[in-house]
Amino acid sequence: MSLIEIEHVTRRFGGLLAVDDVTTRVEDGELVGVIGPNGAGKTTLFNLISGFTPLSAGAVRFKGEAITGLKPHKIAARGMSRTFQNLRVFPNMSVFDNVSVGAVGAMGQSAFGAVFGGARRSDAISARTWAALERVGLTAEAEELAANLSYGKRKYLEIARALAMEPDLLILDEPAAGLNDSETAELARFIRSLNAAGMAIMLVEHDMNLVMGICSRVVVLASGRKIADAEPAAVRADPVVLEAYLGVED
Amino acid sequence: MSDFARKGWIGKILVLLLVFGLVPAALAFAGKGYFFQVANLVLIFALLAASLHLVTGAAGLLHLGHAAFYGIGAYVAALMGTDLKLGFIWGLPAAGLVAAAFAFVVALPTMRLVSIYFAVATLAIGQMINTVLLNWVAVTKGPNGVMLFSGINLFGFALKAPLAVYFVVAVLVSLSIFVLHRLSHSYYGNALRSLREDDQCADAMGVNTVRLKIEVFTISAFFAGVAGALWAYTTGYVSPNDFGFSTSILILAMIVVGGLGSLPGAIIGAVVLILLPELLRGLGDLRNVMVGLVMFFSILFMPKGLFGEVSALSLVRRGFGLKWGAAPSNREVGWQ
Repeated sequence: MSLIEIEHVTRRFGGLLAVDDVTTRVEDGELVGVIGPNGAGKTTLFNLISGFTPLSAGAVRFKGEAITGLKPHKIAARGMSRTFQNLRVFPNMSVFDNVSVGAVGAMGQSAFGAVFGGARRSDAISARTWAALERVGLTAEAEELAANLSYGKRKYLEIARALAMEPDLLILDEPAAGLNDSETAELARFIRSLNAAGMAIMLVEHDMNLVMGICSRVVVLASGRKIADAEPAAVRADPVVLEAYLGVED
Repeated sequence: MSDFARKGWIGKILVLLLVFGLVPAALAFAGKGYFFQVANLVLIFALLAASLHLVTGAAGLLHLGHAAFYGIGAYVAALMGTDLKLGFIWGLPAAGLVAAAFAFVVALPTMRLVSIYFAVATLAIGQMINTVLLNWVAVTKGPNGVMLFSGINLFGFALKAPLAVYFVVAVLVSLSIFVLHRLSHSYYGNALRSLREDDQCADAMGVNTVRLKIEVFTISAFFAGVAGALWAYTTGYVSPNDFGFSTSILILAMIVVGGLGSLPGAIIGAVVLILLPELLRGLGDLRNVMVGLVMFFSILFMPKGLFGEVSALSLVRRGFGLKWGAAPSNREVGWQ
């Protein structure tokens, strides 16, 4: 049984097939890249998996159970956590409070628990939050307002918030967008270290070098269809992929 | 709340000393009924502002009908006291529970509405409840209001002295605000704030956004209902006029002046906006203009109020879906 099984997933927007009959899977501990030209349907695919966009056809199974049609928070609670293409931290909350939302989202705290004690739960949430902050190296900025962080640090903040959920599958939507080369290299090392610690990761990325450098398998989308699904070296040599990226040679 | 915010013991003790020491001493010294009325009014509105803080300040839902739940509480307490002869001990919790029940029923459909639609829905519900209070003469006595002569009767002791009534109000308001404080300054409170910041994103973090909104709306109405019961028992008279749109806006103004997202801010906003018109009584009708100016300038020069986390304008801007200036975040998640 794979961690996530994406089967014949299709999404239509009016007359347009944004994602067209895509089938793939991610195994436990795998690091899979999803690439493709602009408008290939990469982000839509992520929105379909995480429950933000309903499927037109197909099915998604996570840990062997169907999650098609579930609300995003239900899917998240099953151990899938995501970041967004356009950085979406909570700007008017501190770094610590931002990350704590991931922890409280996964562990829950009731209104009753918030008022009457529940110190053990609070301590567990706090411990998880600190652990996630430590993992991305933002403990020193914990009290800082998220809006005041640099762009690069906000990227890590968003990842920390997802990590605080302690997910089994982490979905990163263009994490390197807007970063320079050295920052991207740093991020690549970080993603690889997360994966080395056993976390399965799905990664949408424009930066081919990043994807090719760290992923064990690469899925290529073009115009909503899957055109390749193989190891980086094989994808790099695939004429269909080259055509999609570079156009047809006369 | 984060670990850093466990400070502030000194502030809390000072506030308790003020509410339970200094103010009653001054009231006893002055000895005039009017001062007791003002003190009770400040406490009741502090509770109203604190309860609205949870919905609008923390969770970011622009609620324009809070006074209606306050009114439900006041009428429930007053009618139970007069028609059913059930006194304060029964009236107080019943007021909160009935207001909360109404809010729950109202919240079920409205919480799925986004921003401006939610604001308009709460406005409409506030007006509907107020119209019912005004026109359902058989039950609410209509525009004449309800006179409640029984006063507060605690376990067989009739509290006649104004100072005793003040203490009852102070204890209940303090307890209620303590509960609201625990809710606001907890990880539960952080989840509420995440709704204000970006509720789709909160959803992706495993936060059940619709359920949380319904919960917080209901809890807030419970405390508004309690405030209503306190109003009914301290003034001895309830009438529909006290629970109209202008009261909802007054409570909203309190949390805006104090700073959206801050519980102490909400309380200070209530103190300022109740005391200011009383202090300016000498100016006659001009005092309302002065109060308006204070609100206007506080929004202009302190967009985040006294202690706010978010600026009122940005909340309204987002609430009304207007994207002038810098939009706080790109809210589309859909198709890229």
